[in-house]
Amino acid sequence: MYLIFCHKSVILNKLIKMSLFIRNYKPGVAYNAQILWRFNSTTAETVKQGEDEEEFRVLDILHKKGKLQKRVNRRADIQPDRSEKMPTDQNWGNVWPGPRSFHPSSVPLPIRQGYVPKGQAPPGKKANAELMKIPNFLHLTPPVVKSQCEALKKFCTSWPKLLNSEEAIEKNYPMEIISSDYCHASPTIRNPLARIVTLRVKLSNLKLDSRARDKFLRLVGDKYDEKTDLVTLTADRCPVRKQNMDYVNYLLTACYHESWTVEDWETDKCLEDMEYYDFDLNPSKKNLVNWYLMSNNEDNNLNDEQVKNFDVSKIPNGVEYKSAVSELFNEGESDLALNKYDTSVRKLLGLPEKKIAN
Amino acid sequence: MNTSIIKIAQASNALSQFSPVFASQFHTSSALCRVVSGKYRITKKRDRPLTYEMANPPHYIAHRKSWNSWNTSSLKDGLRKSETAVEDEFIRRFINGTWHGLVCSEVIIKRQFNHIRIAAIMRRAVSPTKMYFLLGYTEELLSTWIQCPVTLELQTVDSYEDVVFKYI
Repeated sequence: MYLIFCHKSVILNKLIKMSLFIRNYKPGVAYNAQILWRFNSTTAETVKQGEDEEEFRVLDILHKKGKLQKRVNRRADIQPDRSEKMPTDQNWGNVWPGPRSFHPSSVPLPIRQGYVPKGQAPPGKKANAELMKIPNFLHLTPPVVKSQCEALKKFCTSWPKLLNSEEAIEKNYPMEIISSDYCHASPTIRNPLARIVTLRVKLSNLKLDSRARDKFLRLVGDKYDEKTDLVTLTADRCPVRKQNMDYVNYLLTACYHESWTVEDWETDKCLEDMEYYDFDLNPSKKNLVNWYLMSNNEDNNLNDEQVKNFDVSKIPNGVEYKSAVSELFNEGESDLALNKYDTSVRKLLGLPEKKIAN
Repeated sequence: MNTSIIKIAQASNALSQFSPVFASQFHTSSALCRVVSGKYRITKKRDRPLTYEMANPPHYIAHRKSWNSWNTSSLKDGLRKSETAVEDEFIRRFINGTWHGLVCSEVIIKRQFNHIRIAAIMRRAVSPTKMYFLLGYTEELLSTWIQCPVTLELQTVDSYEDVVFKYI
């Protein structure tokens, strides 16, 4: 037991010695020691000299000396601002070639920004984060824009001379395709809204007769605007713009050709099925024609087809009567329509004008 | 057992008829409209340094100070709202950690297309060599992570005192 303990202590001693050695050992220790020694001796000497010169040591209660000894590290190698060395006739586009945050040492302008109480000057351009935040257009000065436009000119072609007016453009390009492109501040250039395609065409530009036009309007429904005579077809169901464009074109083509086809059942349409009042088809015209022919002592044995094709303008005041009756049926009863009907009937039958009792 | 519970309920019902406190299930009080975020308290010695950004509380954004993040995601119907916000926060933390103790202002992040421009005011406390290294290091790492070209647009000041707007 004792032996073992003794052995252990020996090992411990050895270990301690080794650790001491490791702690003190540094590569090139002899050289360092020499230098240290020399340094020590010189400092000691200077301190001695200082003590000799000063007669009394000053009691420094507030430790003012220590405070004064704090050096402010000012770098001497900081260059003066670039803006101070700029010549007045320099090319600004070379100084500020692209979009960049504001930098005070490159901009030779005395700019200030910031809100301060009245009477104070706003913060200057240096160390002003507000100036760095706002987007600047220092890279888009008028001379730079001009030179860039000049550089881009060779890639442009002149506008066709024949397309000099809105009418000419509308005549040559009756169909209008509207789609939107989007710009983002994000790594993706895709925007789901860019897929939407709108096609606009004037109904008068399509070659349709009255029946086909009627059918076309029924097919497109509320996509037709009466005021502007425009048919607007919008597609957003496909994921890509190209597909939507194809779909819009397909829609227009399909509607156009469908409106020209005549189905068998379309001939079965009778007077009761009419969605509007057509004067030529109604008994009102037959009565008018018969009355006209009778009053002129002419042969009034016209069949239905002849009555239908009879020109109302032959009858004096006939056109006015026709429009008044049509308006009354198509647009509903109103004071204006009734008055118009009243006057037209009086004119047609040669009755005196209505006397308004005041 | 069940009947006893019902009895208690009935009793409490009867109680609620007399006292409105028992009738309501939860109690409300007037709202405490005390906004403290982004505001700094005045110190006794009036020696707390504030930058211009700190001196103007958040409700002055767009009046006295502008935003620190400029992008289209924050507009109406903007895309990548959450991604942009998270990326911005990541960039801010990364810059503050990489340029440790050097950032004197808020980190301003501007995005144009896929280009991210980061502006900040730094202290000239490290050597220019180190600054150039940090600049390249930051740009390289951020562009690798975010998969976008990243540009650092720094302005340097001598000390933090240069950006101090006022003391409160």
